[in-house]
Amino acid sequence: MNEKYYLTKQGLKRIKKEYEDLKKIRMAKTKGDSPQLLQSDDLNPEYIVFREDLSFLESRLIDLEHILKNIELIKLPPKNKRNTVHIGATVTLEEVDGQINEFTVVGTLEANPDEGKISSDSPIGKILLDHKVNDVLEVTSPIKVVYKVKKIKYSSF
Amino acid sequence: MKNILNFLIEANKLKEMPRTGWVLMGVKKPEFITGHVFRLTVAAWLMGEKAGLNIERAMKIALFHDLGEVYAGDATPFDYYGGLSRKKKKDEKLLMKWVRLSKEEKKKRARARTNKETKAFLKLTKNLEPKLKNEIHAHWYDYEKRMSKEARFVKQLDKIETLLQSIEYFGSDNSTGGTSWWEGTKEIVEDPLLLDFLAVIQRRLYRRYRRIFGEKIKVSKTFKKREKELIHILDFLLEIGKLKHMPRLYWMIRGVKKPETVAGHIFTLTLMAWVFGTPQKRTYKMEKLLKMALVHELSAVYTGDSTPYGRILRRTKEKKEKILEKWPRLSRKEKMRKFIDDFRKERKAFKRLSARLRGPSGKEIFKLWHEYRTKNSVEGRFLSQLNVMAVLLQALSYEEQDKKFSAAPIWEWAFEVSDNPVNFELIEEMKKRFY
Repeated sequence: MNEKYYLTKQGLKRIKKEYEDLKKIRMAKTKGDSPQLLQSDDLNPEYIVFREDLSFLESRLIDLEHILKNIELIKLPPKNKRNTVHIGATVTLEEVDGQINEFTVVGTLEANPDEGKISSDSPIGKILLDHKVNDVLEVTSPIKVVYKVKKIKYSSF
Repeated sequence: MKNILNFLIEANKLKEMPRTGWVLMGVKKPEFITGHVFRLTVAAWLMGEKAGLNIERAMKIALFHDLGEVYAGDATPFDYYGGLSRKKKKDEKLLMKWVRLSKEEKKKRARARTNKETKAFLKLTKNLEPKLKNEIHAHWYDYEKRMSKEARFVKQLDKIETLLQSIEYFGSDNSTGGTSWWEGTKEIVEDPLLLDFLAVIQRRLYRRYRRIFGEKIKVSKTFKKREKELIHILDFLLEIGKLKHMPRLYWMIRGVKKPETVAGHIFTLTLMAWVFGTPQKRTYKMEKLLKMALVHELSAVYTGDSTPYGRILRRTKEKKEKILEKWPRLSRKEKMRKFIDDFRKERKAFKRLSARLRGPSGKEIFKLWHEYRTKNSVEGRFLSQLNVMAVLLQALSYEEQDKKFSAAPIWEWAFEVSDNPVNFELIEEMKKRFY
């Protein structure tokens, strides 16, 4: 996997917020007021796991620091490059029988294939990158699927 | 990777092995060994937390404890009589009550079973890398010898889980054999918290038949204080028990004759989470990974199992077989809509489920599912990709058994989802092993 983390502005905001929240929890733990803050029912359920385990909290913070140091913000490509698939593109594919399939190529931290957002490091993501409209692609897992690139779209992010 | 894949293929056989006790008792569609392991592991988590145990250790003990049955077969106390059948009148009488054996005989049987299972464990883990092999062995020996407090706790809980299943099959009536396991459970349970839990089971599920048992379970001094919590856990465990008998829809619509259950799939993913979460350089927290794997499909209790084809199959006039040949093709808008619909349904189900548990455990379950579903953490992303590998492995096993079955759509799914080295390595190994 690449050491660079491609993120949209929204994704970056989310990561920064988690980092700041966890730093506050660490501060509370080391100051000793953890029982009040961490045992409270108001605690964001996402952070329950850090209640008992300061070492895991530390490692998650290191993880986030690593991500924040290696972020590459996804930018809208210049107009003359928008006919090619880069990270951030939504690609419409057409199969021989006319069936349509669509993906948005994103960085690993924002990928959610259930929503159609696939990672640029996934086999399909890698195949899509750098292709242009009307290019024919072959996806070969043990089975072979042939697609034609019908449309490439960039929306603001 | 080759040896790990072989280990998983072998362990997956437990998904098709019914528990012998229920077969002897004439249960028509008995649970599989993995169903029992699934609920026991969840119980080890929830009850272990109340007992202040090391949850990771308790869950691993529960997860591994029956692995040897792949080769040793499922042992039941009723084997002691050898070849009983409920259909025979004289046998039925024996099956109605817990086994009676001399102390010597019990020892002899236990030794024989341990020897058989030890050989089975050694065979199953023979080629695994030392770190994994040693961990399985350590937890299993711990369980067998009851060395740690976690092992002693899970050993007792194992009986309680089976007791719950017996109540689900036979009710709590002694004329149907529903009291037999009660007798067996009472022989082994001694932990104060578990005795309180037994008292809750007695009060909730056996209340009409209390006179059958004579004495009440002796409860601890703190019983009153924790009774409600224990009732919530009992209700929750009974609820998720439905997944032991719920077949996976994806295989059903493809005509698989004996499809794995939702609980069986959860078992596979939990085992894979342990296998592949262990040697990672990334900072996965094992306890969290195991819990997330156990939780990831609990919503099926209320939503039923679903497939990505549901909406498409309802709307189209195309032949079902034709559609099922491929992974669904959808526009981004349709994918989003489907994701949001599914997400809402699952969220509602999880809110209902976590409300049953109340308190921190309920919140934690909700949060784990949320992270998994939104892939909003390293564990969530790792596990959701691993989940596809668990499904692919199952599909390849079906394809191997039945040449008409095709794993092609799952391959497509795996190619969309995977972007971590574990998945890539597994994909390559699966290609070598199955093609």
